[in-house]
Amino acid sequence: MKRIAGQTALPPRAADAARRRLLQLGAGAPLALGASGAATPARASIRTNARIVIAGSGLGGIAVANRLSRMLDGARITIVDRKEEHNYQPGYTLVATGVWPVDKVRDRNAEFQPAGVTWVRDMVAAFDPAANAVVTAGGQRIDYDFLVVATGLHLDYAQIPGMDVAAIGSNGLASVYPGPQAAQATWAAMQSFAQKGGNAIMTLPATPLKCAGAPLKMTFMLRDRLRQAGTLDKSKVRFQSALGAVFGVKVVNDNVLARWKDLGVGVEFSRRLAAIDIGARRATFVSPEGEKEELPYDFIHVVPPMRAPDAVKNSELSWKEGPFAAGGWLEVDKATLQHRRFPNVFGIGDINGTPRGKTAATVKKSAPIVAANLVSVIAGGKPEVSFDGYTSCPLLTREGSAMLIEFDYDGKLTPSLPMIEPLQDSFFAWLLKVRMLKPAYLAVLKGRV
Amino acid sequence: MYEIWLASNIVWEMALTVWPLLLAAAVAWLLLMTAAVRRPGARLRRALPAALLCAAAGAFAAFVIVPGAVGSSLGELGYWVDVANLAAIAAGCGVAVGAFAWPLAAIFRARAA
Repeated sequence: MKRIAGQTALPPRAADAARRRLLQLGAGAPLALGASGAATPARASIRTNARIVIAGSGLGGIAVANRLSRMLDGARITIVDRKEEHNYQPGYTLVATGVWPVDKVRDRNAEFQPAGVTWVRDMVAAFDPAANAVVTAGGQRIDYDFLVVATGLHLDYAQIPGMDVAAIGSNGLASVYPGPQAAQATWAAMQSFAQKGGNAIMTLPATPLKCAGAPLKMTFMLRDRLRQAGTLDKSKVRFQSALGAVFGVKVVNDNVLARWKDLGVGVEFSRRLAAIDIGARRATFVSPEGEKEELPYDFIHVVPPMRAPDAVKNSELSWKEGPFAAGGWLEVDKATLQHRRFPNVFGIGDINGTPRGKTAATVKKSAPIVAANLVSVIAGGKPEVSFDGYTSCPLLTREGSAMLIEFDYDGKLTPSLPMIEPLQDSFFAWLLKVRMLKPAYLAVLKGRV
Repeated sequence: MYEIWLASNIVWEMALTVWPLLLAAAVAWLLLMTAAVRRPGARLRRALPAALLCAAAGAFAAFVIVPGAVGSSLGELGYWVDVANLAAIAAGCGVAVGAFAWPLAAIFRARAA
């Protein structure tokens, strides 16, 4: 194993704790984190020579890096991620339904990383929180004083025998999640299907999901594309949920089910996609009792089970018991987003084992909180800002209209502005989704909002 | 207020994507205003009603055109928040149209006089 250039080997935990105490002494300058949280930009920086590793350069990783680079003076920040392309993932459903061209979700990571940050172009293969180090796939060992886990999650298509991500776009196979190419290929499959009509199956797994509204948006938009193509009469759209619902917030779930009833979208519950035969266009679903049923289809939208990446799942950082243990999600306190057992570790984004919210909106609200709480800890204090679990889902209901749904950990609807009706079909919500949310995302990425 | 800060950032990021166009428009407007002020016989104050008329026409056109331009339609205005937001966008477009119409009207009036 190699050590990152310019960094020295540290003995394990006791010495690291001592080092962090020293860092805290040197970080005694007052913080100006803003009373409102952390929703406002920091106005002063504190002096520290802390080594901070950020694992992952998605929205969460870069947003926190930008904030920390302004809030801290002298900190050595290292981002570890092999990915060169930055994808605007909230735009995938727009690409996959023909609203956006694919280039609108493609940018370069290098454009958004703050100056002075070290970028290790490799993936974290192992976390060793006891030794305060991460090890990359290339064998590089990187020591840290503080760690931000922003790895995102793993799309576990391997749990569906017969599934081939490379086949998305052919034989009526669609899946919006893997990336821009898959979203584009999904649109090709949807167009082809809409021209003829037929039997469509939309799936939902039982695991926590990133953008849990995406399967619903795809269903609404598919139905609308069939209507526009004039093939709705010849088509049947069925939603197969592995859960007892289609959305985790009851009032939204009930609203969507009522809409689908009116729109003629059939829904079946407790049916997990267990296997797929892409060439034969047949999908096998299984009930909790183990009963199998094979369904033919002309179009299928596959939503994969999701879990933490192996590096997190197999490390000491993952939940060891409780509802998030099976997926290996990061064991963070849901309010402070600080790791429950390793106080020098914080989590942001999809990787967090928290009740709800694997969306860009969650990162928008939680990146300032993670940065503020981390700086508090570096300064020798405790996390002071709490996250309420805010997340948002502009739920497309057809081309030209959407619902702007915002909610918290408790599933309580929390509209940003009191006049917004979350369950109202709205031009404004559509406009927000197609024109305004990417600029907002970029502002989050740059650590400004 | 956080929402105002967020909205400002959204506008800023949108402007960044078209800044050469905005710069060109700003320069063109300054040139027009300079030309209007320096032109013998030009009266900016007298040109104001014509400019306001153009602004109103621009706002009306924007109100009708914008929904279609973003893949929606007037029929999707579901409640007053939709109407208010579209009206605000249309008003912004109207101001832009009026800003250019003002010096142009002054110049044309001077030429006609």
